[in-house]
Amino acid sequence: MAADSLLYTRRRVVNAIALAMSTLATVIGLVFLAWILWETLRQGISALHLQLFTKITAYGEDGGLLNAMVGSFIIDLIGIVIATPIGVLAGTWLAEYASGTKLGESIRFLNDILLSAPSIVLGLFVYTIVVLPSTTLTNGSTTFSGWAGGVALALIALPVIVRTSDEMLRLVPSTLREAALSLGIPQWKLTLQILIRAARSGIITGVLLALARISGETAPLLFTAFGNNYLTFNPMDKMSSLPQVIYQYANDPGEGLHAIAWAGAFVLTMFVLLLSLASRLVLSRNKVSHD
Amino acid sequence: MQANVGAVAAASQAQEARAQRDARQDRLFSWLLKGCALLVLACLLGAAGATLWGGRHAFGTFGWHFLFSAEWDPGTDTYGALVPVYGTIATSLIALIIAVPVSFGIAIYLSEVAPAWLRTPVASAIELLAGIPSIIYGMWGLFIFAPFFADHIKPWLTSYLGDKPDDGKLSWVAAHVPFVGKLFGSDYPFGASILTAGIVLAVMIVPFISSVMREVFQTVPSRLKESAYALGSSTWEVSWDIVLPYTRSAVIGGIFLGLGRALGETMAVTFVLGNAMKLSPSLLDPGASIASTIANQFSEAAGLQKSTLMALAFLLFVVTFIVLLIARWMLRQMAHKEGR
Amino acid sequence: MTESAAAGIHPQSAATPAPIAPTKLKVRDLHFYYNGYHALKGINMDIPEKKVTAIIGPSGCGKSTLLRIFNRIYAIYPKLEAKGEIVLDGENILDPGYSMNRLRSKVGMVFQKPVPFPMTIFENVAYGIRHHEKLSRADMEIRVEQALRSAALWDEVKDKLKQSALGLSGGQQQRLCIARGIALKPEVLLLDEPTSALDPIATGRIEQLVEELKSEYTIVIVTHNMQQAARCSDLTAFMYLGELIEFDRTEQIFTKPSKKQTEDYITGRFG
Repeated sequence: MAADSLLYTRRRVVNAIALAMSTLATVIGLVFLAWILWETLRQGISALHLQLFTKITAYGEDGGLLNAMVGSFIIDLIGIVIATPIGVLAGTWLAEYASGTKLGESIRFLNDILLSAPSIVLGLFVYTIVVLPSTTLTNGSTTFSGWAGGVALALIALPVIVRTSDEMLRLVPSTLREAALSLGIPQWKLTLQILIRAARSGIITGVLLALARISGETAPLLFTAFGNNYLTFNPMDKMSSLPQVIYQYANDPGEGLHAIAWAGAFVLTMFVLLLSLASRLVLSRNKVSHD
Repeated sequence: MQANVGAVAAASQAQEARAQRDARQDRLFSWLLKGCALLVLACLLGAAGATLWGGRHAFGTFGWHFLFSAEWDPGTDTYGALVPVYGTIATSLIALIIAVPVSFGIAIYLSEVAPAWLRTPVASAIELLAGIPSIIYGMWGLFIFAPFFADHIKPWLTSYLGDKPDDGKLSWVAAHVPFVGKLFGSDYPFGASILTAGIVLAVMIVPFISSVMREVFQTVPSRLKESAYALGSSTWEVSWDIVLPYTRSAVIGGIFLGLGRALGETMAVTFVLGNAMKLSPSLLDPGASIASTIANQFSEAAGLQKSTLMALAFLLFVVTFIVLLIARWMLRQMAHKEGR
Repeated sequence: MTESAAAGIHPQSAATPAPIAPTKLKVRDLHFYYNGYHALKGINMDIPEKKVTAIIGPSGCGKSTLLRIFNRIYAIYPKLEAKGEIVLDGENILDPGYSMNRLRSKVGMVFQKPVPFPMTIFENVAYGIRHHEKLSRADMEIRVEQALRSAALWDEVKDKLKQSALGLSGGQQQRLCIARGIALKPEVLLLDEPTSALDPIATGRIEQLVEELKSEYTIVIVTHNMQQAARCSDLTAFMYLGELIEFDRTEQIFTKPSKKQTEDYITGRFG
């Protein structure tokens, strides 16, 4: 009897300790989240200044981030414009044409791997297939470019879009396919005009998530878009981007540049968090529902 | 009557033509789709192929010695992979050692302990961590965490565990437990170190691992948990004896997923690693990882150094590929068990 | 009850009621397999033109499967196989050379749950037509109106043709699906439990619609609601475990079935 109650007490103590630890782990996680966001907010807002949006990085500590923001916008746009059609079509193939086939299963599997592949290696890949050939072809007049940066970001956005499109299309009820096919509609029309439309909000979510992901990417841009202290709208030029300038400024000893880097980090974080919030809203507002 | 038959024949001929056109377009469309899907494959093969091709001079020049040499001297054009490889593995392992128990705790808290109304907001907050760009982690690590580490954590570690304490008096642990003294001994005064990078990486991968764990914990059939509770098991016993074994393969998959992220992460690490191409046994000394070395040196590198960096990228890609392959495979095992 | 039918030597003898109209669909020795499972075992039946034929039977008896072979919609899934003959206007539609396009324009289908396309009401009807015929805008508007009128939906939707079809009620959506099907001017209309997801009032409207449509279309309706079969069909087929047990005039089936199994099912002893 005494042994029993001892065992019982021991078990209760172990349970209490374990649960306390798990609560502690959650608190630690939240503390770090709060810490990172708080510092970004504090340092970023105190450095926020109108000329951030009107002046370019060529002025250094007296400048702003205008060229970096424009560059980020253009490079991200190129990345999304390339990755969206390819990603949606590839996801469609996985969901509609290749379900159950060996090749389809393997590509779905490999896509998940590409999803978390090191972005810096993808950057080097694009360096090899875009930057090097364009250097040779133009005798060195075009080397690093906004295009190359866009292609690198497209490679990072691609698996995100493939995966969400695949998953969202698989949620579309098969009765919709049957209804269209029983009207004699060919499969390509059914796919493009009905299924993708039915899964639209899910696919948009995927594109927004991909945009959030690539707009914070730094590593692959270092050797593709490179950076540019002047404002340019031409994607054949070297181009700066917000994350790349933050990287460059944070590595610089100048205190003034650090402040600008924090302001840039603040803008970037807000943008990314708003995007992921927006993507959640799109998904919850109109779910893929047809039954 | 005759005209009618003719009209019917013409109509059916038109229908035939349309059917053939549809079939042709369907075929073209499915090729287009398949082509897009194969691009995913091409990206993976291309990334491996391009870095292997770019690194061929380095592999050819240094051979197997490349992997085991700690030398890194642009002056004599001699490069070895050991320092960055060691740094990559050490930082990732430290990250795992910290992140796995914390993630497990968070997942248990969110699926078994927390009151229902708290679960969704806390889970969303943790997932928010996963959405923050890695460069932000890097900045926070460089400007906030590394100085904090240098002021408050490092002195404590060096004086109580390390073999190079400021006052010259070895602690009992450093004197008696093998290796510990070396691991924590440092006279480098700054916050950047392998341990710092490992901690920042841990903060980065916790949301990934914990969200995988939480997801699979929720797939455990409630009848399984209920029958254990009915036998008088405590929450902890149910988590440890029922939930964890049931989800083991997916939990391992989630851990490997986190490892894959940690190995390939560039920005969060580069700022806080110190970028020293020198092998040191101490976790409190600066080091380098493959990704940080590439990020720091590639733009200015040429010739053999560039090829070496490409070769390092190839190694990184192959290793992360294998780690992620195991991760996805483990997760798939779980999905099959679920009958999905 | 004749001797041979009672002995059940030839299932098709039970499956051939006295002719009430020329045969539209002639089913001969039809077998169906999925993943090797023998789901339909030698079905023979003659479905008459411009009549309503109901197929009843307990769940899993193969009635929906049979219906889904009539327009070969089963063919979009792998590992399904149909053997035998289904003759429509003198041609075997199971022949691999028979154009799917032609089949689907001749045989329309309406499903259990209403499945409007994610488009406007007008586009839902026009979409299918546009694929088979090139019509001017004005002609298309006439065709859509005709189809919606035939489906008894026009008065309810004529002012909101440009709105999304997803906003309609379940019953309206199902009538829209019928309109979409008959807009192609098919000869045969297949209805797969078309009212199982609807409330009694919407069900009544669909049944009334079926009654009106049979002057122009050959209708085959699968239902697990026996009253529905009794109310709106001319012929009724009873299936059980993949076999056609009995096929006769509806009043015959419901008053004097010739098979014990049919009687048991109708009187509610199983199923």
